[in-house]
Amino acid sequence: MANSVLDPLSRRYRFVGSSLATVVYIFLLAPVVVTIPMAFGPTNALEFPPSTYSLDLFRILFTSDSWLLPLYTSLKVAIFSTCAALFVGLPSAYWIARYEFLGKLLISGVLISPLVIPAIVSGLGIYLYFAYIRIGGTTLSLVLGHVMVTLPYVIVMIIAGVQKLDRNLEFGAELMGANPIRMFFTVVIPELVPSLISAAFFAFLLSFDEVIISWFLTGSDTVTLPVKMYSALEWEVSPVIAAVSALLTALSLLACIVTIGLRKSSGEEVS
Amino acid sequence: MNRSIDLKVQSLFMSPAALVAAGIILPPLCYVLITSFQGDTGPLSAYKLIVESSLFRQTLATTLGVASISSVLSLILGYIVALHLARQHPNRRTVLMVLILLPFWTSILVKCFAFTIILGRHGIINNLLSWASGFDVQLPLVLNRVGLFVGMTNFLVPLVVLPVLASLLAIDSTLYRAASVMGAKPARMFWTVTVPLSVPGVVAGLLSVFVMSLGAFVIPALLGGPQDQMLSNLVDFYNRQVLDWPKASAISVILLALASIFIVPMALWRRRKI
Repeated sequence: MANSVLDPLSRRYRFVGSSLATVVYIFLLAPVVVTIPMAFGPTNALEFPPSTYSLDLFRILFTSDSWLLPLYTSLKVAIFSTCAALFVGLPSAYWIARYEFLGKLLISGVLISPLVIPAIVSGLGIYLYFAYIRIGGTTLSLVLGHVMVTLPYVIVMIIAGVQKLDRNLEFGAELMGANPIRMFFTVVIPELVPSLISAAFFAFLLSFDEVIISWFLTGSDTVTLPVKMYSALEWEVSPVIAAVSALLTALSLLACIVTIGLRKSSGEEVS
Repeated sequence: MNRSIDLKVQSLFMSPAALVAAGIILPPLCYVLITSFQGDTGPLSAYKLIVESSLFRQTLATTLGVASISSVLSLILGYIVALHLARQHPNRRTVLMVLILLPFWTSILVKCFAFTIILGRHGIINNLLSWASGFDVQLPLVLNRVGLFVGMTNFLVPLVVLPVLASLLAIDSTLYRAASVMGAKPARMFWTVTVPLSVPGVVAGLLSVFVMSLGAFVIPALLGGPQDQMLSNLVDFYNRQVLDWPKASAISVILLALASIFIVPMALWRRRKI
């Protein structure tokens, strides 16, 4: 049994450890699980378990403009910002992972910084900045804000992917006369596909779920789904939120399975 | 490869990122910093008014208290799970990881919504207690400190599990063989091998959840009460209700400075590991 902690435990402690862990697993999963049955409940009451089951909440979600437009905005912003983050992140992550250059620490530090800077600070700053350059409240401002949030994750995930590649293939291609750009497209990118897919899923999900930055950037006609949901939770808790939650949870589950599947198929440890 | 071609290729690979760094990531921080010095009566007036206000002091104390307690709580719960995962066979561990990754990937809004259903006055827990006791139990579990800690801990545990698990799995298994050859009992092996060697993961996890919780915004707003609002909520209050951007910016700068005290050692720690 390689790759596990091997200090032996007496039976009693093993049992205590597993039971405590089970309690924590339940605690972690409870909020994820609870919303699913609620999504199929009645439209007039929030109760668990629901007294009657129907698809009414989903019907409201997918027919009323007040939910459909935010859903559409979120999809649009998530797709554009994921593409932009990959476009920016892929070449820079490759270069950062492979080469030493002047200012590497500075630029990678700046690119990664949104990971640790409190979102409210970035949010307020980007609000003031975009108001000054007069793009506040537009879809463009949301996409740019979301690129800022997703890019660090994309870069970190792609750097990890590049570091696992066999660099000899890249040297080989260059020895055979491929220029660096051609080598990048024909050798590196095909090998990186699994990392790219999981980075894309993660970026999409992150953007689709993003609340705080969007909270500062949405205009009246560019409300995103999380912002709509946040204000609904703050003012009046509508049962439709259960359907939105179920939708978001299904998306997280999908992303989670795809990522684990990809890592499994490339034969590495999931952690 | 020729040096000048090398530089050309490098600028091709790095220029989109440089553009994003200089055009999207840095300007907001500069704007916050500049705005914080644009108070009505002199460059430091916003800071002066903020630091003197009792609302700010109270919120700062709440923020530090809530961040410390929820970090420690999530470390305890996270350590239990990481230990359990580390003792599993790798195949089984992959399956169990879903139980950590799914909550990790779940929207914070979904969790907050779910906890209002679970912890509300007529929520799942109160209903269960009423049913079990025969009385009408209506414990106040949400929109107060309890709800805030439950939400924060739930959000932070997966963030502790990942680094702690990584450092547990990095322990060299020959150490255990050596310890057992030398006659160490299981409990002694746990305390002298497993626990000390998990310290890097614990430190990394603790620092990152503490920084995360300093900036908490959604959870205190939706699961905490009026007394449990944190610095991020105060920023939003000054920005949205009072429309006082110098003060909102000054609080942001203070929050960022506070977070930096912990971000800098975290960054150094990571670099040392690489």
